[in-house]
Amino acid sequence: MRQLSLFLFILCIPFQIFAQETFSLNGTVSDINSNETLIGVNLIFPEAQTGVTTNDYGFYSIKLPQGTYKIVLSYIGYQNIERTIDLNSDTQLNFQLTESSENLDEVVITNNIEKLNIKKPEMSVNRLSIGTIKKLPVVFGEVDVVRSLLLLPGVSNAGEGSSGFNVRGGAVDQNLILLDEATIYNSSHLFGLFSVFNPDAIKDLKLYKGGIPAEYGGRVSSVLDIYQRDGNSKEFKMQGGIGVISSRLLAEGPIVKDKGSFLIGGRSSYAHLFLKLTDNENSAYFYDLNTKLSYKIDDSNKLLLSGYFGRDVFNISQNFENTYGNAVLNLRWNHVFSDNIFTNLSAIYSDYYYGLSLNFVGFNWDSGIRNLNLKYDFNHYISENFKLKYGVHNTYYKFNPGEIEPIDDQSGINYFKLDDKYAFENAFYISAEHKFSDKFSAEYGLRLSNFFRLGQNEFNTYENDRPVDYDADRGIYSEANILETNNISKGEVLKSFTNFEPRLALAYSFDDDQSIKASYNRMSQYLHLISNTSSPTPLDVWTPSGPYVKPQLLDQYAIGYFRNLKDGAYSLEVESFYKDIQNRIDYIDGANLIANNAIERVILSGESRAYGLEMLFRKNEGRLNGWVAYTLSRSEQRTPGRTELEPGINNGEWYNSNYDKTHDLTITASFDLNKQWDLNANFIFQTGLATTYPNAQYEYEGITIPVYGDRNGDRLPNYHRMDLSATYYPKKNNGREFRSSWNFGIYNVYNRQNAYSISFRENSDTNRNEAVRLTLFGIIPSVTYNFKF
Amino acid sequence: MQSILKYIVLFILTLSIFSCEEVIEVDLDEAPPRLVIEASIIWLKDTPGTYQEIIISRTTPFYAEETEPVVDATIIIYSEDNQIFEFQHRTNGRYINENFQPVLGQQYSMELKYNDEIYTASETFQPVVGIDYIEQSNSGGFAGDEIELKAYYTDPAATKDYYLFKFLDDGEFMLEFYEDEFTNGNQIFGYYSAEDIELGDTISIEMEGISESYYEYLFILRSQVGTNQGGPFETMPATVKGNIINQTNPDNYPFGYFRLSEADAVNYKVE
Repeated sequence: MRQLSLFLFILCIPFQIFAQETFSLNGTVSDINSNETLIGVNLIFPEAQTGVTTNDYGFYSIKLPQGTYKIVLSYIGYQNIERTIDLNSDTQLNFQLTESSENLDEVVITNNIEKLNIKKPEMSVNRLSIGTIKKLPVVFGEVDVVRSLLLLPGVSNAGEGSSGFNVRGGAVDQNLILLDEATIYNSSHLFGLFSVFNPDAIKDLKLYKGGIPAEYGGRVSSVLDIYQRDGNSKEFKMQGGIGVISSRLLAEGPIVKDKGSFLIGGRSSYAHLFLKLTDNENSAYFYDLNTKLSYKIDDSNKLLLSGYFGRDVFNISQNFENTYGNAVLNLRWNHVFSDNIFTNLSAIYSDYYYGLSLNFVGFNWDSGIRNLNLKYDFNHYISENFKLKYGVHNTYYKFNPGEIEPIDDQSGINYFKLDDKYAFENAFYISAEHKFSDKFSAEYGLRLSNFFRLGQNEFNTYENDRPVDYDADRGIYSEANILETNNISKGEVLKSFTNFEPRLALAYSFDDDQSIKASYNRMSQYLHLISNTSSPTPLDVWTPSGPYVKPQLLDQYAIGYFRNLKDGAYSLEVESFYKDIQNRIDYIDGANLIANNAIERVILSGESRAYGLEMLFRKNEGRLNGWVAYTLSRSEQRTPGRTELEPGINNGEWYNSNYDKTHDLTITASFDLNKQWDLNANFIFQTGLATTYPNAQYEYEGITIPVYGDRNGDRLPNYHRMDLSATYYPKKNNGREFRSSWNFGIYNVYNRQNAYSISFRENSDTNRNEAVRLTLFGIIPSVTYNFKF
Repeated sequence: MQSILKYIVLFILTLSIFSCEEVIEVDLDEAPPRLVIEASIIWLKDTPGTYQEIIISRTTPFYAEETEPVVDATIIIYSEDNQIFEFQHRTNGRYINENFQPVLGQQYSMELKYNDEIYTASETFQPVVGIDYIEQSNSGGFAGDEIELKAYYTDPAATKDYYLFKFLDDGEFMLEFYEDEFTNGNQIFGYYSAEDIELGDTISIEMEGISESYYEYLFILRSQVGTNQGGPFETMPATVKGNIINQTNPDNYPFGYFRLSEADAVNYKVE
C-alpha cells in the first residue's frame, strides 16, 4: 500500500510543474497512397528539443507553448518530411508520408532498419518491419514472422519443427501474443513449421522481452504485439505470392473513399506435397483468413472490425482426422477526447479449437478455450514531458478440457465430458512516460490484476487440500484420493487472486548517442498450458489457476547500454537480464494429461529462473546492412518437495529447460546489389539443446528398458547452418501498376545434418542398442513469386 | 489414447520429405548397476497355475549386449493364509516354484534377499474376464494397409478394471494396456496391428488382469521405451519405480514389479 501512495504522489508532480499556457497539436500520420495509419512515426520539434511518436493507431498529440515550430517526420521505409507551423490555438494536423521505394531514382534506401531510440526508457524491445521480415531467407521460402524473431537476441525455440518461441528463457505459453489486441493461443501451423500470421496482412510488430509496460499483462515472459493493416481507402489493390508450400492472396480497397476500407487476405498450403505419403487419401494442410474493415467517422472517431480464422487439417486414410486453430473477432472504436486524450475501446472474442476423430477406435474428441475480452485504453498526452496511459481490461474465459463422443452405436466408447472451467480476469493499469530532463526519463506504472476462478461441476476436495500424494515407501508421487466431489455454480467464486504488478523503466542518456537503461517488471499469469512435452503440441489444453494451482509470478530485472555510432549508421545494444518465476508447474512421473478431469492430481508447483547477456550490433544504413546478435544465457527449472521428506521432481534439483541454449549467435546481412537484385544471408550457431541420454538398460517382460540419467543433463550436438536468398525485381516493373518479384532461397546451404533429436533403440537385426540422429531439414532450395497491383 | 495422440504428432513430423535418419556414435555415462526383479505370477485360465517363475538380473551399460543374471538371491512368497512358497534358482537368473497355490483376490507378499539387503513387495491376485472372440481386418492400421486384430472382451460394469494384452507374432512382441474409464461395462477390444503381420502367421494373444498401480507403472514404463524418444514432442524421461522396496537401503531401489495376474490366451491364425 505504501508503494501505491508513493506512486500517486509522483503522478501529481508534473501537474504542478507544467501549469503554464500551452496549446495542443494532434492528428494522425498515414501513408499517402493507401491512407494506412503508421505506427511509431517520430515527430521531432528541433527548436523545442522535443518530440512525439505516433501510437498503435497512428495518432499523436503534444502540448507546446505558443510559437512557431519546425516539425520533422521520419519513419522507416518512408521519406522524411518537414513542415513549419504557427501554434496559437489547439490545432489538428494530419500528415501523409510517401514510401521511399516509390522514388525509383533513389538507388540506396537508407533508414531501412529500425533505428535505436537512445533517450526513451523503452528497452528490451525489438521491432521488425514487415519489409525487413520479407527479405530474410527462410525455410521453403515462406516468409514467417516467428521464424524472423528467432534471429533476434534473447529469442529462441526448442529446435527446428518445434512450436512457438521462447523469450529470455521463458516457456512458449508465457508469451502474450496479440493480433489486433486479441489473444492468440497457438501461434503455429503444421506443428511449428509456420506461424499463423500472414505477412501480407501485417502492418507492424513489436516484441517486448523485458521492461514490459503496465498496459500489458496476463503472461509472464514476453509480449508480441502485432497489428494488421487497415486496408487501402484510396484505391483497390491486390497482392499475393506463390510459394513451395503455400500461396497467398490479399485484396484491399475503399468502401467509402478516404473514409472506409476493407482488407481480406487468405493463405493456404497445398495438400499432399508436404508429406512423404503417396496414398491419395492422406492430406495435411493449413489455411487462414485475415479480414479487416475500418471506417473513419470523423477526425476524432474511427471504427475497426478485424477478424482472423485459421485451421490446420490432417486427414489420414479416413481413419484419423485432426483439425485445430484460432478464431478471433474484434470490434474497436477509436475516439479522441479534447485533443489530447486518445481512447480505444475493444470488444474481442477469441477462440482456440482442437478436434480429433479416430475412426478405428470409434470416437470424436474436442477441446478448446474461448474468451470474451473488453478493453478500454486511454492515452493521455498531458504535456510534452508527461504522458499517461491508463485503462481497464476484463476477460471472461471458458475452458473446455475435452469431450469424448462415440462415433456411432457400434463404438465401444462411452460419451464422456470433462467439466468445463470458467474464470474471470480483470485489470486496471496506469502508466506514465515521464521526461524529467533532457538526459533522464522514466516510464513507471502499476497494474492491478484480479483473477476469479468460478464454480464448476465435479469440483474435488482432498485431504489437507493436497491433490497429489507421496508414497514414501516406493518413493513416487501419485494421484490422491478424492474426499468429496461437489457441483459448484458458475456464479460462485472458488478462489480469487489479486496481484500488484509494478513496472519501472529508466533511461539516462550521456549525450545524443549513448545511454544506459534499467528496468524492473513484475507480472502475473493466471493461465497454464498443460503440456509435458519439450515443446507444446496443438492438443495441449489450457487450465486456469484456482484452489490447487497458483498463478505464475515473475520478477524481471534488466540493465542495458545503448549506443549509436557514426551518426546512427551503426548501433550497439547490450543488455543483461535476470528473471525468476514462481509457481511454474511441473508434472509427476507418468502424469496422464489428456482426458484427465482432475488435472490438479498430477501437478506440482515449482519455480523457474533465467539469466543472460544479450548483444545486438546493427548496421542500419547503406547498401549492406544487417545485424549480429549474440545471447549468452541459462534457463532452468526446479520443483522441490513440498516437505523435507519428499524429493520433489528430479530430486528437487535445478534442471535445464528444454529450450536452454548457452550460446546463440545470429548474423544477418542484406545487400542491395542493384535495382534488380537484393541479396540476403543468415548464419546461425547455437549450443545443442538440453536432452537426456540413457545410462543403463535392463530387460523386463521381454522388452528392453532404457534407464535415464539426470533430467536434461546431456546436450545434442551444436546446431549451425547458413541460409542464402536473393530477391529479383524485374526491370519491367518500372512505371507499371503490376509489380512482381521473385525470391530464390537456399536453406541450410552446406547441408549440415543438425540433430532434431537423438533417440535410442534396439536394432531389430542385430538386437544391439544404437543411437539414431534424426535430421529434419538438410539443404532446401526454394522459389517464391510475389506480385502486387 | 495419449500414446495414439503422441504418435500422430511424430508421424507427421518425421514423414517430412526432407527428414533423414542416421545411426551415430554417442558416448554415454554408465550408472552403477541396480537389481531388476521380474516377479510376474501368471495363472492361465483352465490350468493349475502351480508352476511359477521369477527372473532376477542387474542393469547393464546401455550398449552392453549380454544381460547379467543374478544367481544367488533367495526368494519367498507368502500368501494371506500363511502358505510359504520358496523359489529356487535354476539357470540364468530364473527362480522356480512348482507348487504355487493361486487364489484370486488374495493378497500375497514377496521377500527377496540379495547381497545382505532385503527387498519386499505385496500385491493382490487380479482376475480377468477373458477373450470373447478375435476379429481380423485387412485394411487396418494407421494408414489403412495393415492387418489388424481386435481381441474383444466384455468389461464388467461394477468394477474399475485394468488389462494387459501381449501380442506375439514370430518374435515380434507388443504390449498394450487399457483401463475402462471410457469403456466401462462395454464390449471392447485389445488392438494389434503391425506392418509385418502376414497371412498364415499364428499370433499368440494373452490377456491379463492387472491392478491400478501396475497399470500406472506400465504407463510410465512405456513412456520410456518407444522408438521415438527425443525431439520437441517427447515427454521427459522418468525413473520407473515399481512396488518392490529395498528395506535395508531405500536409495538402492530395484527396478521391476511384483504382481499376480489371471490370464486368458488364444492362438489366432491369420487368414
